[in-house]
Amino acid sequence: MTPMVDVAFLLLIFFMSTTQFKPPEQVAVNLPLSRSEIHVPETGTIILTVNSTGQMFISSETGRDIQELAPDNVLDAIVNWRGRNPGAVVVVKGDRDAPFGAMADLMDTLAEAKTLRFNLMTDLKKRTPRELAAGLPAAENTPTP
Amino acid sequence: MSDVAVAENGKGEQGQGTLGRVKKKRVGVRIDMTPMVDVAFLLLIFFMVTTVFRRPLAMEVNMPEPDARVEVPESNVMTVFVDKDESLYAKIGKGDIEPLTWADLEPNFVANAEANPNLIILVKINREARYEPMVDMMDLLEDAGMERFSLIPMKEADVEALEAVR
Repeated sequence: MTPMVDVAFLLLIFFMSTTQFKPPEQVAVNLPLSRSEIHVPETGTIILTVNSTGQMFISSETGRDIQELAPDNVLDAIVNWRGRNPGAVVVVKGDRDAPFGAMADLMDTLAEAKTLRFNLMTDLKKRTPRELAAGLPAAENTPTP
Repeated sequence: MSDVAVAENGKGEQGQGTLGRVKKKRVGVRIDMTPMVDVAFLLLIFFMVTTVFRRPLAMEVNMPEPDARVEVPESNVMTVFVDKDESLYAKIGKGDIEPLTWADLEPNFVANAEANPNLIILVKINREARYEPMVDMMDLLEDAGMERFSLIPMKEADVEALEAVR
C-alpha cells in the first residue's frame, strides 16, 4: 500500500500547491447570458467592471488592483492602462441590470480611446436537451415587461 | 477502528539461559494507515475538483472607426427599438413603428433579410433600459447570422415617436 499512499500524497501536495483560489470579488456582478463560447484570455486583460448601479471599476484579471472610476475619469484611466499594457485585451464586465446609458457611454469612451475591439463578459446560456435535439437556439430569458 | 497491532517476535521466551535477568520483549509496532489514506484521498479529490477552473466567456465586439460613415438608403434599414421596459418595436424603412415580441424577433429578422438582402439592422435602445437586452439583442443577431449591425442609444425624437405608438 505504501507506494499508493506515496502517489496519493504526491498528487495531494501538487494540487495543494498549484491551486489558486479565486480572490474574493470586490464588486458583485451578475453577468448577462449569451450563447457565445469564446473564452476570455487568462492573462493580459484589462477588466472594466460596471455594477448594477452603473458604477465603473478598472482592474487587471487578478482583481487585486481594482480601482473605482469617476465618470469623467474613465477615458484617462483606459488610455493610461492601455499605455502600460498595450497588448492587453479589454474586457467589459457589465452587470445585466446595469443601465444601458452607462454601457453606451462606456463603449463611446472605448471608441474614443481607440479601443475598437473588446470583449463583453457573459455567462453561458444553456440550451435545454430538447432544444439541442431540435437544433433550436435556447429560449429567450428576457424578462417580460 | 484504529488499533495498534503488536506482534510477538517469536523468541521471547522469558528467562532462557540468562540468570535473574528478564529479557525485554522486542515488539514490532504496526500502525493502521487506512484512515490517514482515507483523509489523504479525500483532500486529493477535493483539490482535484476545485482546481478545474472555469474561465469566463465573452462576446467579441468589433466597433467601426468612430468617424467612419456609410450612407445607406433608408428603405434598406430595419430599426428595432428597445424601450425602457424592454418592450420591442420595429419599423422598416419609413414604415410605421409596430410592436414586436422577443420571441418573434429572430424569425422577423430572418424573413426581412430574405426579402431584402441589403437589409441593415439598426438597434436603438433607450438609455434607461438595462444592459441585458443589449446583450440579448447582440446574441440574437449573431444567431440569425447578422453580424453587422448598428447599436445606438435612443434620441429624444425616438422616445417621443415610441410614446405616440404606445
